[in-house]
Parts: sequence; C-alpha cells; structure tokens
Amino acid sequence: MPTARAAKRAAFRLGAVVLAGALLAACGGSSDGASDSANGKVTITVDLFGSFGYKEAGLYAEYERLHPNVTIKQTDTEDEADYWRSLQTRLAGGAGLADVQGVEVGRIASVTQQQADKFEDLRKYGADALKGQFAEAKWAAATGRNGEVLGLGTDVGPEAMCYRTDLLKQAGLPTDREVLSKRWATWDGYLELGRQYKAKAPSKSAWLDSVGSLFSIMIGQEEERYYDDSGALIWETNPAIENAWNASIEASEAGLSAKLDQWSPQWNQAFSAGSFATLPCPAWMLGYIKGQAGETGKGKWDIAALPGGAGNWGGSYLAVPRAAKHKKEAYELIKWLTAPEQQSKIFAKQGNFPSATAAIAQIADATDPYFSGAPIGRIFGEAAEAAPVQVLGVHDQNVAQQITNALSEVERKGTKPDKAWENAKKGVKNIIG
Amino acid sequence: MTALTDPPVTHPAPERPAARGRRRSQAGRTMRGGKLAYAVLIVAVLVSAFPFYWTIVAASRSNADMAQVPPALLPGPNLMQNFEAVMEEADIGTALLNSLIVSGSITLGTVLCCTLAGFAFAKLRFRGRGALLAVTVGTMMIPPQLGVIPLFMLIAELQWVNQLQAVILPGLVSAFGVFFMRQFLVQSLPDELIEAARVDGASSARIFWSIVVPIARPGMAALGLLTFMAAWNDFFWPIVALTSSEPTVQVALRQLGGGYVNDQSVIMAGTLLSTLPVLLVFGLLGRQIVGGITQGAVKG
Amino acid sequence: MTLTASARPNPASRPSSIRRVWRQLSPYAYIAPFFSLFAAFGLFPLIYTAYVSLYRVELQTPGDMEWRGLDNYTALLADEFFWTSLRNTFTIGVLSTVPQLVMALGLAHVLNYKLRGRTFFRTAILLPYATSVAAATLVFAQLFGRDFGLINYGLGLVGISPVDWQTGTVASQIAVSTIVIWRWTGYNALIYLAGMQSIPHELYEAAEMDGASRWRQFVHVTLPGLRPTIVFTVIVSTIGATQLFGEPLLFEGSVSGGISHQYQTLGLYMYEQGWGFFHLGRAAAIAWVMFLLILALVGANALITRRHSRKEAGR
Repeated sequence: MPTARAAKRAAFRLGAVVLAGALLAACGGSSDGASDSANGKVTITVDLFGSFGYKEAGLYAEYERLHPNVTIKQTDTEDEADYWRSLQTRLAGGAGLADVQGVEVGRIASVTQQQADKFEDLRKYGADALKGQFAEAKWAAATGRNGEVLGLGTDVGPEAMCYRTDLLKQAGLPTDREVLSKRWATWDGYLELGRQYKAKAPSKSAWLDSVGSLFSIMIGQEEERYYDDSGALIWETNPAIENAWNASIEASEAGLSAKLDQWSPQWNQAFSAGSFATLPCPAWMLGYIKGQAGETGKGKWDIAALPGGAGNWGGSYLAVPRAAKHKKEAYELIKWLTAPEQQSKIFAKQGNFPSATAAIAQIADATDPYFSGAPIGRIFGEAAEAAPVQVLGVHDQNVAQQITNALSEVERKGTKPDKAWENAKKGVKNIIG
Repeated sequence: MTALTDPPVTHPAPERPAARGRRRSQAGRTMRGGKLAYAVLIVAVLVSAFPFYWTIVAASRSNADMAQVPPALLPGPNLMQNFEAVMEEADIGTALLNSLIVSGSITLGTVLCCTLAGFAFAKLRFRGRGALLAVTVGTMMIPPQLGVIPLFMLIAELQWVNQLQAVILPGLVSAFGVFFMRQFLVQSLPDELIEAARVDGASSARIFWSIVVPIARPGMAALGLLTFMAAWNDFFWPIVALTSSEPTVQVALRQLGGGYVNDQSVIMAGTLLSTLPVLLVFGLLGRQIVGGITQGAVKG
Repeated sequence: MTLTASARPNPASRPSSIRRVWRQLSPYAYIAPFFSLFAAFGLFPLIYTAYVSLYRVELQTPGDMEWRGLDNYTALLADEFFWTSLRNTFTIGVLSTVPQLVMALGLAHVLNYKLRGRTFFRTAILLPYATSVAAATLVFAQLFGRDFGLINYGLGLVGISPVDWQTGTVASQIAVSTIVIWRWTGYNALIYLAGMQSIPHELYEAAEMDGASRWRQFVHVTLPGLRPTIVFTVIVSTIGATQLFGEPLLFEGSVSGGISHQYQTLGLYMYEQGWGFFHLGRAAAIAWVMFLLILALVGANALITRRHSRKEAGR
C-alpha cells in the first residue's frame, strides 16, 4: 500500500472512535424513550401532508400550554401522493405510525372501504357526541360500513380564484374583485380574459400556473366525477370530466399556462417570480400562497369568486391508527383541533375553511390583509354552501393524478390530446389492474 | 440483500487485472505532464467541485434569490438562517444521529464479519470453500431491489418497520467485503506465519486475533471507510424501511426535497448539512480512500 | 469472541482427536456470522421474491395471496410501461456509461504523468463519489431547472433557448445521465490509473525506441494492458446502470419517472408497482426480470471477453 503505516493506524483509530460514539449514542437514544413515559409525559406524534396550518397558527403551542404533560411533534410532507405511499407502507407493516395521521378526502373512501380495521373506531372514545358539530356530508364520508367513526373532519375546500392585482394591472385588466367575478362568471369568460392578458403581459408571465390545476378546480364543481353512486368507475365516459378536459386543452392551446406541475420545486419558485397571474384556489391554498410568496407577496394578491359557480376541492380528516402508541391522548388532541373554535383560528390564520358548522358562522365576516383585505369569510362561505356533495371513490386521487399528468404531457411535451387521454386511461388501468 | 450498502460500482476487479507478479515500484510511466495535462485536470477538478460550491451559494441565499435571472453566483448572508430552518423542518439533528448510528454499526459489523470470513476463505482449508466463495461473489450481481419485498415483509413480521435495526442488519451482508478481505489476506498474510503459530500450539482463535488482525488492519481500515461512506449514502432500502419520523440523513433529504419546505435554499442547506460529515471524513482520510479503491483493483 | 478463552498455555494436554475435529470445524465458525446474515437477509429474500412473484399480493393486505402462476411475468410482456422502462434503462445506461468510461480513461492517462500535486488531483476528482445520490440529485435538479436553472441560463448566454430538462425524453435522460457521470467518472479514473501503473515500464520503453508517438503508445501499449480493468469497469457499470434508481426517483421526486415515464428505469418501475400502486407480486416479477437481465449481460460480457482473449492467444 502506498500510504504510511502510521496513517493507517490513525484511520483505524478514528474509525474506532466514531463507532464507539455511535454505540454510545444508540444507548443514549433508547434511554430517552424510557424516561419519556416514566414521568407521565406524553409525546403525541402528528404526521400530515400539505398545509394543515396547526403549527403556523400556534395551536400546538396552545394545546401544550393547556396540557403541560403533552408535547406535540409534527412531521409533514408536501406532496399528498408521497405521504399516502409512506402511510400505506407503515400501515402494512403495522409500525412506524404516528399517533395522528392526516387523511385527504380523496383517500377517505379507501380508509372506510379497505382499511377500517387499521384505524381506531373513534366511537370508543365518545366521538358519537361530536356528530352534530360537522357538516353532514363531511361526517358521513368518514363513517365505515358498520358505523365506525374513522376520522374527524378538519377542513373543506370551497373554491375561488386567486389573482395578482399588480400583474393584472400591468396588462391593463381590471383588478377589482367584484368586476372580475362578473367578467369571469363563466369559464369561457375566464379563458377570454386570459387571452387578453397574454396579449399585453410581460413575456415571462402566464395567465395561470398549469392546466392541471384548471382541470382540478373545474372537477370540484361536479357531484359525480370518477365514480358514480353505485361505486362504479365512470370517469372515461363522464361528460363532466370531458368538459373540464376540453377547457384545459383549450387553455393549453391558447398558451395561457406557465406549464408548471403543481407541487414541484419549480412551481414553488414561481410564486416569488410572478410567473402566473391567477391561481385557482381552494381555501387551503391561501396558506400555500402565503408560505411561498412570502412577505413580498403581501397585498399583491386578491381573491374573486370562481368562474362557473361553486365547487369543492379537497379537505381532510384526522385519524388515529390502531398501531398508534397514545390513542386516547391522540383522540383528545384531534377532538380539540377539530372543534369549531380551533377551526375558526386556522381559517383566520391560514385560510383552511372549517368543516364544523358553528365555525362557519363565526368566520362569516373575516377578511385577510394578505389578500388585499378580501372578505374571505364571505367568499368561501358562499362557495361552501353552494358546493355539491361529491361522490367519493377508492381511487379518486389516482385517477386525478393520471389525468393531470396527461394534461402536463399536452402542454409541456406537445403530446396530442387524444394520445394523452389514452395515456391517462392506460395509467389508471396499470394502477387499478 | 447482499448489495444493499454497496454503491453500484465499488466492487474491485474479480481477477487481477494485469501484470501478475510484476514489481509495482517499477511499473507505470513516469513521463512529465505538460501544460495540457494540468489544464485537463484543473477543468476536471472544477467540474467535480462546482456543484459543491453552488450548493454553498444556494444554501446561503433566499428562495427569492434562487428564482432570479440571472442567478446568483456568489454566497449570500442567509446560511445560518437556512440551517436553522432545516433543523426545524426536517429534524436533521435526529437524522444525522441516526445515520451515525446506522453507518457506524454497519461499518463495525461488516468489517468484523468480512475479516473473519475473508480469513477463512483466504487461508483455511475446508469442504465447500470454492463453492461458497463462488456463491458469495455471485451475489454481488443481485440488484438491491430484488430482495426488498420479502425483506420488507420480514421486518414487518418482526415489527421493525421504522426502527434502525431494520436498516442495520441487512446492511451487514456485504459479499463485496468478504471478497475484498480475502483478496487482501491472500496477498499480505504469509502462510508460514500461520504454520509457525500452529506449531507453537496457538488456537485458531488466538491466531486470528494476534496474527491475522494486525496484518489485516490496513485492509480493514480501507474496507471500513468504503463501507461507512456507502452506508451513509445508502438510500434505496432506508426510504422503504424508515419514514420521516425516524429518518437517516438520506431519508430526511428526500423529505426535504418532497416535503413541506417551499424554500429551495433551505433544501440546499439541508443537502449541505448531510454532505458535510462525509466530506469531513473524506478530507481527513482522502488518501486512504483513494488507496482503498485502487488497491481493490490492483492488489485484487 | 468467547473463543479466545479457549487458548490454554499447554494445548498439547488436550486429547488430539478433539483438536482435529475442531481444526476441521473452525473454518465454518469463521464464515458462520457472514453466512447466517447472508441466509437471512440475502438468500431468503432472493428465493422469497421468486415465490411472491407467482402470486397476486397487495401491500395493504400482505396476508391474502392469490396464485397467479407465471401471469405476473406474462403480463409484463404486454405491459407498455415495462417496455418503456426497459428501453429507458438501456438508453440511460449507454448515455451514462460510455462517456463516463471514456472520460475516466482520459483522466487516468493524464493522472499517470508525473505531476505536481498529484495527490490533490486524485482526491479532488474523487469528491463526487463521496456525495450521496440524494444530495447530488437534488443539486443537479436545481441546476437543470427549466425556468431558473443555472444550466439553462448558461445556454441562454450562448444563444440557446431554454431546454425543458424535466419533460423532454432525450433531455431528461441526458440530465439523469449527467448525475451518474458526475458521480462515477473520478472513481473509474482511479481504477484505470491503478491498472495503468501496473503496466510494466519496459513496454513503453520498447515502444518509444520504435519511435511510437504518445498516442500510438496509448493505443498499443496502454489499452491492451488495461483490457482486464476495462472489462471489469464495463461489467460493474452495466450492473450499476441496470439497477439505476435513486437519480431518476429524486430528479423530480416522481415515482413514475416524469409525466410520461420518459426517464423511468426498471428499478423505479419496480418501486412504483410495489410502493406506488401496492402490487407486490408484480413488483417481485420485475425484480426477478432485472436479476436475470443482469445475469445475461454479465454472461454475455464474459463470453465475449473469453472469445476475444482466445483469439489473441491463438495469434
């Protein structure tokens, strides 16, 4: 060997020190866990996706103040698809689960129909009594075949249209939310404004972020989407899907989109660069916008009613897995987090719209200075009231993902729409088959 | 899961590549390099180092800076702030500690197991030696993806999902390590030394500890370094077996990349943090690592 | 090691038959730790994967197994996504391996000169090898960004319009290959360098006396001398390319390897089937196909090499 003997010995010793350190650390780590339960302290783990906003709204801190023996630890994954994959792995392994797991409304059917045995029936802890607090459909969707209560509703996703007043102004378009609500009362009107924007806007700024988000928001306006009432997959022949698909293709062909895939790093970066002027926004998107556009975006955004009427996109539940360590404590926490007062606070801070009926009344007059003082309570409240009650299915999320992928192909790769549609069909078959 | 901790291409030549028995000190060319040679090397070094430099630039700036045209090319003032954000978002402290535990245990275990087995294959005679060695070498070809499914079922059965031993134990199986130590000992451990010890009546275990290990030490050190880096950087199995609540550094990085961190500069700060320990090892022991790699190819 | 305790000052006092038996058995004690781990975490998974691949098993319900025979394999033949990923694995493999090895050879050649600061150069070009796939890919994903990436900015300076490195089939495969090339070129260069240094000096002297130029020396002395090393690196890189997984997964964080699977490799497709769609049986079948593919590639490689060297020996 080319190296000196002393150096080798040094390497060897260093290795030994590192290993000894690692082993010590391992022992130290395990003793920590033991002391945790010994002195009556409980660490509740919460695993979420996207932006529930509890941490940002200071609710964990508040809960910890109310319950001095409780510490809350949250992990969060931005992309729900990633989150769901990891959750499934851990459910299958029956280990590594947090005490509280978030479930998106597009997955709740999978929980009630396929995995009711993997989550706690919250009736055990008296959840029955909470039923009157929530919108009826929200409660029903998380109820299992035998009446199990498998999750408590957090938010719903009434839809509106967020836009950048500064960019619209530059392009000579109106910026007043009432005027815009009228001008884009229909989707055709929205696309028409988009064409006008494109004609006058700076070259690097598009009308909307991606046609995928246009599709998603339009689908939210429908009652039957991917499944019908009987639980059969109907998306391939559903005229509502075709309608939203065609509008998305039209927007793509008119070059109205910034061609950014939602939740990608580039999409994130585009917020601060002003790459798009409008963003279809369910209520929970407000928190994203604040987070991503940051302080510099304050006052540049505004919110108007959604073209084509009210709709709902998303919304979530909090559930307690059977394999959780602190089930009782976890239930107490989610009961508190989903209570009307807390839901109102979240809305005021992050925009996630409450699913608790009492909270909806509490926030009716809310406005948000970040969005130029828009009356978010009224806009989203009206949308929530008028939004259809959607038929949910096991593979909702998967089908939606394949369709938005196909739309990305059209706008980013120039794939022919018919070919892309076929690709989406193949993709869905590959997942379900 | 033999190949789990081995990066795809760390295996040394299965046969002696060239020049069996030639004196190495005389081998090779000694032509002096011209300006062109230096130019080529400097370009290579710049290309190798640039992503590191750029990571530092990105990690020390803000998200808005990163979305600018033209992009920033010099480091900015936000490094500490971004480090703090990483600590808060991804629990990188736990991740670093977990990685240290995992990589340390794998290194220790692998070096021990492989030295034992390598010694047996190199110097002891026993029935089935050739066949077992062939099997060992053959398993280096098994893609790490192959065993993941049953392995996952196995650790699920053992209730090990999201626990560090789920990553450590499979990581100990290193066919490469056995082969590496065998090649090393075949060359550097004289048969006469063992025979002499036997004649003196030393037990097999004693021979191992007082004769084999001292001679094997440089090889063990090289194997240990390679194993440590591979285990630190291993990725495929940990993201299956662990989750963001008990991550290794690589799992945490994946979490940062796809996690609820909307700030690219924070992601880059996390990348920097995860790489620093390996760079440190590399800076201190780079020569040994270079030696370990080349020795695998030449001495083998 | 409890065995150390058995070392007695006067071993001759023990009955020699016991010693003989021990002498025969002790080698197995040395290999036992490795092989017991190997059996549990290497061999068992290998065989069990083959077993699982004959069933329909879903991740959510691993207890329910439904016999499918070879259906998982025959289904792959008709699976467009499988063929796409096979083709991608091949093209990314070529795109990453060929330039990587050629550049490594060139670098090794240069490193073999007498140089000031040779240790520095050797260590520096190995730096990328020390970074993890995850870290390297995250950094390169930024550099290859469509709107704000440094590479597109650089291309813009020389008048080339921005490339969509994520979506274009060729562009995305080049981007993914670049990460592989960056990480492994220095490593391979060092392997080649080691091979070069064991080529006897006299061969060069003889060539020089014949008036061969440096280039001819490289072609006629260095390359033949390096042949076994080159074969080795080709085999190892082939295995690595067939198993490629982390780079395409992390490039956009997409299990499907881009919106139209444009850079999905076999390894990633297996992961998508198993952990994206939860079809463990199908994923197991893909894993075995990968294994057989590697066996075939390595076998073919060995065959070619053997035939080649026989030809040479016969000259």
